[in-house]
Order: sequence, then C-alpha cells, then structure tokens
Amino acid sequence: MKNKITERRKELKITQQELADTVDVARQTIISLEQGRYNPSLKLANAITKALKVKHIEDLFELENGGD
Amino acid sequence: MIGKPEWFKRRKYTGWGITPKTWQGWVYVAVFVTLIIGFHTIPTLDNTTRTIGTGLWLLVLGIDSIDIMIHLKKDERNYLHEAISERNAAWYMVIVLALGIAYQGISSGLQQRLYVDPILLIALFGGLAIKAGSNIYLDRKD
Repeated sequence: MKNKITERRKELKITQQELADTVDVARQTIISLEQGRYNPSLKLANAITKALKVKHIEDLFELENGGD
Repeated sequence: MIGKPEWFKRRKYTGWGITPKTWQGWVYVAVFVTLIIGFHTIPTLDNTTRTIGTGLWLLVLGIDSIDIMIHLKKDERNYLHEAISERNAAWYMVIVLALGIAYQGISSGLQQRLYVDPILLIALFGGLAIKAGSNIYLDRKD
C-alpha cells in the first residue's frame, strides 16, 4: 500500500513524534508506515487521516495494483 | 504496584521479559538489587530468615514485573511483531521438544526400558493445552 503521509505531515509541519502521539502509536510505527514497510489497520488509517486533516482515507492511502 | 510501565520496554533481542527504558527504570532495578544485597549483609539474621526474606522479595519483584508487562503500552505493529516472533520461538521449542521426546522414547525403547522425561511431556502437552485454551477464548471473544 502506498501512502502520502510524509508529504502531508510536512505540509502541516508536524514531526513524526507528534503524529505518533496524536494517533497513539510508537514513532517507529510512523516511520515504518512512511517507508511503506507496514500497512495500517483500518482504524489506524482512519486515525491518521483525521490527524492529518485529510477528508478521505483513499486520498492518503492507495492500494497498489494487485493488492488485496 | 511499584514500577511503572513507561519506565520499561519489552525485551526483543535478549530473551523474554522487560528491560529499563528510562533512568527511572534503572533506578528501580538498582534499588531492588541494593535492598536484597543489603538484606543479606545484616549479620544477625539466620539462614532461614534470609531464605524466606529473599523468596518474598523475589515474589514481589516477579508480581510487579508481570504487572508492568501486562500494562506495557503497545500499538498494533508492536502486537503483530510480538505475535510473530513469539510464534516462531514457540514453533522452534515445540520441534525441539518433540525431537527430544522421540529420541528418548526410541533410545530407551531399544534398551527394552521405555522412558521419557516427564518434564518434557508436561512442557509439550501443557503448551498444547494453553494453545487450545487461547483459541477457545479468542473464538468466544470474537
């Protein structure tokens, strides 16, 4: 799954730690998400979408071709 | 209890349990160790009192450690990684136990004296019971 977390986070001038604290996960989890090494649950994806003030989850997360 | 979960983190690379993460965690460990050493240096205590005192102190430490581990903050990625790594460790232990039981059974059987260490059997079948109980609990919880 691709995502635009890094770009949106930088637009809002939020650090990885601040985002992690807002959605109640470890900073390492945010790092793994931004590097595309971890796919979040729907609950976490929704929380990140709200924290980054994005209207729709699909604007922030995108399933890659052939994904489940 | 005594220690706070935010002072510790889960051991990932050096066994099971917890390890200090903050200076408060290290102070906690130092105090526990210092007090038990200090207790043993009291000259007027007899061996029975030392043994009982040490046992009680270790019991308090054990219960506090379990309480800390239960309340350690984990996010979904931590849960997933812990589940996978513990599953891999459990599979390795099951395989070694099964091979050990088979080896003992076969080698003792060939000597006309079938014997398998009961601790190995308790470990293997106890693990099986825990796995079954966990799945029953999780199925009902869902």
